[in-house]
Amino acid sequence: MHQHRPTVLVTGGTGLIGRAVIARMLRQDPAVHVAALVRRPARWHSLAATLGPLAARVVPIRGDITCDGLALGTGAQRWLRRRACTVIHLAADTTFTRTSEESRATNIDGTRHVLETANTWPGVEQLVHVSTAFVAGELNGLVAERDNGAGAGFVNPYEWSKYEAERLVRDSALPWVIVRPSTVACDTKAGGVTQLNALHFALRLCYQGLAALMPGAEDTPMDTVTTRYVARAIAAVAQRDDLAGQTLHLCAGMRSLPLGELLDRTFHIWATDDAWKRRGHVRPALSDLETYRLFASTVDELGDPVLTRVTHALAHFIPQLAFPKWFDTSRADETLGFRAPAVAEYWPRMVAHLVSRGWDHPCRLVA
Amino acid sequence: MSGAPAAAGTPTTPAAPGITGVAYAFPALSRSVRELGELGQLQSPSDTLESLGFGQVHVATTESPYDLALCAARRLLHEHDVSPASVDLLIYGGLSGRAAFDAASTAPHAPAPMSRYSYPATRLQFDLGLANAMVWALDQQACTTLFGAVRLARAMCATEGMARVLCVSSEFTAADGAREAIFNCVSDAACAVLVDRDAARNRLRGAAHITKGYYWDADALRNEIIASYFPTARHAVYCALHNAGWRPDDVTWVIPHNVSLRSWQILLGLLALPNARLWSRNIARDGHTLAGDNFINLCDAMREGAIQPGDRLLLFSYGYGAHWTALALEA
Repeated sequence: MHQHRPTVLVTGGTGLIGRAVIARMLRQDPAVHVAALVRRPARWHSLAATLGPLAARVVPIRGDITCDGLALGTGAQRWLRRRACTVIHLAADTTFTRTSEESRATNIDGTRHVLETANTWPGVEQLVHVSTAFVAGELNGLVAERDNGAGAGFVNPYEWSKYEAERLVRDSALPWVIVRPSTVACDTKAGGVTQLNALHFALRLCYQGLAALMPGAEDTPMDTVTTRYVARAIAAVAQRDDLAGQTLHLCAGMRSLPLGELLDRTFHIWATDDAWKRRGHVRPALSDLETYRLFASTVDELGDPVLTRVTHALAHFIPQLAFPKWFDTSRADETLGFRAPAVAEYWPRMVAHLVSRGWDHPCRLVA
Repeated sequence: MSGAPAAAGTPTTPAAPGITGVAYAFPALSRSVRELGELGQLQSPSDTLESLGFGQVHVATTESPYDLALCAARRLLHEHDVSPASVDLLIYGGLSGRAAFDAASTAPHAPAPMSRYSYPATRLQFDLGLANAMVWALDQQACTTLFGAVRLARAMCATEGMARVLCVSSEFTAADGAREAIFNCVSDAACAVLVDRDAARNRLRGAAHITKGYYWDADALRNEIIASYFPTARHAVYCALHNAGWRPDDVTWVIPHNVSLRSWQILLGLLALPNARLWSRNIARDGHTLAGDNFINLCDAMREGAIQPGDRLLLFSYGYGAHWTALALEA
């Protein structure tokens, strides 16, 4: 079908997951070539440096998903039109504190631009849309891979915008697959953390004794995954041609840990440090959402600068814990032939790693 | 000055050490939160503190801490017809040395050298005529002083056969000083609590006290203290209730220390208890006394008839330093 060498276009290829996906695809199939859509040249240089010799099979293409036509130059547009066989759409604004308009610009409009542009490329046989398990928003209970979250509210604009983006993908004429990772906790089962996210921020507040309350219950499932698992799954999906119209949960599912146990394990590990243990910091109290919101609004009202900053930072994602849910992974597990590692396998190492690195985040490549 | 005794009632279970009397004394002057704001004695805006449930506080001027301690103790002995000779132990908590005897408005900054031995605790024994009472003093417990005194009293009843212990606490802040401690309006007061070995009412069924020395510097660790307050408070309450063999839902009344109403609503949420079980009337009326909010509230709640014999009462307080303490009482 392709007169030219088939190429996988990856948006968001310079991000945490994108780097790992590109590296894995290149390593597992010497015939694969990648076009990486990059907004800032410096990010490409960083990616190229981490890929090493593999970078020879990656073509950086200047573009921006927030613009019509991805802001591609005429040459790049023509080049991709001839070569693009698969599009992996990873680019997203994952910052929970964004406004709805800001989230819309990257996550909804950006997805629309990717779909519209890819639709003009005749060779595209598959679009892999990387979403999030938290399009389920405020749903409770078991979330099936066929569930699309309709009717439930959302904890933050990020969840909402990713939900809306999925709707666009489903309505498109392209053969699509949607994958929904849950929260990335660390790189691999070894527990290293390349990039800190909201989860690590919350843990740091616990470590510093600044987390008073958390919504949720002892048995609220905490679903996290590793970068390696997510990258492996996306790379595997991109190689398949029989998954059109499917949605897969890239989640720990039943291999999650209950929130209470997760906090107990975390504090147990920290308590092996005598200096920390002597401070007597206690686990945050788990509460219903109403009590948590009363606490947060009181802190806000009183205006203490440190605690206000803490509650504001947490407010954009931690209420998700008040909506306990299990992500069903049966379709993903069967399709992929492998599962996400159990959270218990890596959580202690991840927690220990964060402390040993002083909550810093070294940059490295996971594939 | 005002005060009232805890009422006697019919025992529902065999006698045990318990609180058989409470009396308290406030200074003559009260000031509204708004007035305190105008006088520059608050860090937060007065309307913020009003929204947290505070209305007024009691402010000592001509009174000394000792004056109020003596007044509260005398009132208790009188209203409960307690013979001074029947008291085996006096436990005093509050300001020590000459500072206890000076009027709030005239307290010197540097007391005379020998004044450190002029103890209010022993003078109280003398002035009250507690001829058979040995005297101890408790210090550095902040707002949990009376809790500590009551637990010591129970222990002495149980281990040394004492029949009656009088606990007295009196705490002032500087007359012109700050009247706010982390969003709480502070009052001057004294409170006296009588613990009898064979009590008909308010039997001590459970107790817990958690001290975290890491938080000793309240100024430097203000944010950590606020963050640790709620989870540790809940833990202390659970421990006291477990000690009593009760579940949170068994609690008929929560008798609070008079910190912000909002903080109590949060703590009640954590305990899954409805706000209606909080006896909160005095938060607006009296503010937060360092001397013994919970026991003053117990006294008033009983006087109003809110508490019935057999009711299960939870008292919780926090003291800078840092102490979290709770008592489970069977009314």
